[in-house]
Amino acid sequence: MTLLRLPSATAPARPAARSRSRRGRADRKPRVLIAVTAMFFALLYLPIAVVALFSFNSKKSLTVFGGFSLRWYRAFVHDDVMIASLGTSLRISLVAMAGSVVLGVALALGLVRCRTRLGSLAGLIMLVPLITPEIVTGVASMLLFKGLGVALSTGTVMLAEITFSISYVTVILRSRVAALNPEVEEAAMDLGATRWQAVRLVTLPALLPAVLASAVLIFALVFDDFVLAYFTTGVDPQPLPVRIYSAIRFGVQPTINAVGTLMLAGSVALIALALFIPRLFGRRGGLDILSGE
Amino acid sequence: MDATPAVRLDGVSKQFADSYAVHHLDLDIEAGHFFSLLGPSGCGKTTSLRMIGGFSDPTEGSVLLAGEDVTALPPNRRNVNTVFQSYALFDHLSVTDNVAFGLKRKGVAKAEIRRRVGEMLELVQLDGLADRKPRTLSGGQRQRVALARALVNRPAVLLLDEPLAALDLKLRRQMQVELKQIQREVGITFVFVTHDQDEALTMSDRIAVMNEGRIEQCGTPEDVYEHPASRFVASFMGTSNLMTGTYRAGEVALDQGPALPVGPRTGIAEGAAVSVSLRPEKIWLSDFEPGMATLSGVIRETVYSGPTTTYLLELAPGVTLSVLEQNTARARMEDRWSGGETVEFGWRPEHCLVLA
Repeated sequence: MTLLRLPSATAPARPAARSRSRRGRADRKPRVLIAVTAMFFALLYLPIAVVALFSFNSKKSLTVFGGFSLRWYRAFVHDDVMIASLGTSLRISLVAMAGSVVLGVALALGLVRCRTRLGSLAGLIMLVPLITPEIVTGVASMLLFKGLGVALSTGTVMLAEITFSISYVTVILRSRVAALNPEVEEAAMDLGATRWQAVRLVTLPALLPAVLASAVLIFALVFDDFVLAYFTTGVDPQPLPVRIYSAIRFGVQPTINAVGTLMLAGSVALIALALFIPRLFGRRGGLDILSGE
Repeated sequence: MDATPAVRLDGVSKQFADSYAVHHLDLDIEAGHFFSLLGPSGCGKTTSLRMIGGFSDPTEGSVLLAGEDVTALPPNRRNVNTVFQSYALFDHLSVTDNVAFGLKRKGVAKAEIRRRVGEMLELVQLDGLADRKPRTLSGGQRQRVALARALVNRPAVLLLDEPLAALDLKLRRQMQVELKQIQREVGITFVFVTHDQDEALTMSDRIAVMNEGRIEQCGTPEDVYEHPASRFVASFMGTSNLMTGTYRAGEVALDQGPALPVGPRTGIAEGAAVSVSLRPEKIWLSDFEPGMATLSGVIRETVYSGPTTTYLLELAPGVTLSVLEQNTARARMEDRWSGGETVEFGWRPEHCLVLA
């Protein structure tokens, strides 16, 4: 309430100054908006900041900060089960990234080049995974594997994550493929390249910034994906998010704070990389992962 | 000279859904020629070029390169190279690597590639920009890279799809001269697609004027300009006074106006409805010579444009002729005709062409 009353507090100062001060206030950004924005960021990031802060706590308490220490990071490094989960998550992310990028780029090329009615239908169906609730996809994947008699394992998580991620890659790549000048590929063939060589030597290099950006995005999405991983993982080293969930059920260990902080730092680094990649290729204003432009 | 044409189109058609882009085209292009396909947009000239290059399959007929039927061959197996309208440069490669692309695909030795790319960049005056990326070059420079990239492969035929269209007028004029010089130097057959009749006239050894998927006329620039075979060619090449009338021996009686003495013409029956074409620069306003036909008309408009002045001359109500006069003819502004004056004008009957 104090915050909201602030602007009017200065208004009735001196009658002579009124008109000037009113004009001045119109030019300034309204403080209400600044306050709302600050509140928004506080609500959004305070919990995360608390996690990051308490990951450095020297005590076991989750409410009292006893002083700076790397104790919980050390505990995490020596927690073999957690480390195994981290390894599994990294493996899943890398495989899902590679698989979905290869298939997604191929699908984008196919959808743009194939101008039949069936092609545009495929282009629409391709978008469905983006709007399907993930829990539906998770349950469906699990039921599919069970029905086929495939034992759930790290491999089934990889398959599910690849399937789920293709759409993202294709959505990002499709507009870039459509923006390509078809004469460039023709020029490569004119100069002696076969169709496949033209794609490899000319089309793919032109798409490289978008391909790399989508790869980074998929890695980040898959690495901290919980729902799909939860339904499709087996008993062998569980993916990290699933492992964290299991751990929390038996009481929150401060180690979780350390893991969470590390994951956050990793994700931020990846997103920064994704934003930076297009700039590396000399594109102006390259927010590739957001707009696909 | 080799008797086999460098390019032969034998009854080639390209049919899209329900219309012909190219309709039963027969065309021979002699080796070493600068050959232009000229016509308005949508006349089928680019489609014809793409069929020679292998980017478009004819629905009928066959394409022969140096006597060999290549209709079924993909672009990478035809001994032709293309300069695309958009230049289609590889933006991720340097100028050198763009130019070397074709030679690398052919497996030419590295030292040989370096030598030929160097020579070619010198020929198109880009030797200082070898390491630049295409994005950093100007339009004219990009155009030269596209040309060098195609020519370095020493194709039997070079196809050019409106390569100068994106350049400004001054640069275009300069490139026209350069392109013609380069063609003479390398001796490769050029097939040049353009909608700019000036460009075609100044650069070509032969021109094929196309309209609605067919060739209206094929000949030297002089043939096509001085002796247009059809009303379309006469109006598309330069400006022309086109009128309709009835043919009688030695003259054409205009539908709305007097009879114009015309040049000898065979194959047209007495009393046939015809068009006549009389170019503005073939009409004189003074100093007539023996053998010229003369008539009189009223000056309706005077358009001064530096080296020349154009007069609009009313011959009869509704019949106006455009007349182009070099400004050497009259020394001063005051000497020129002004509006409303009745003047005598003359022309050589052989310049007044009868078109069926």
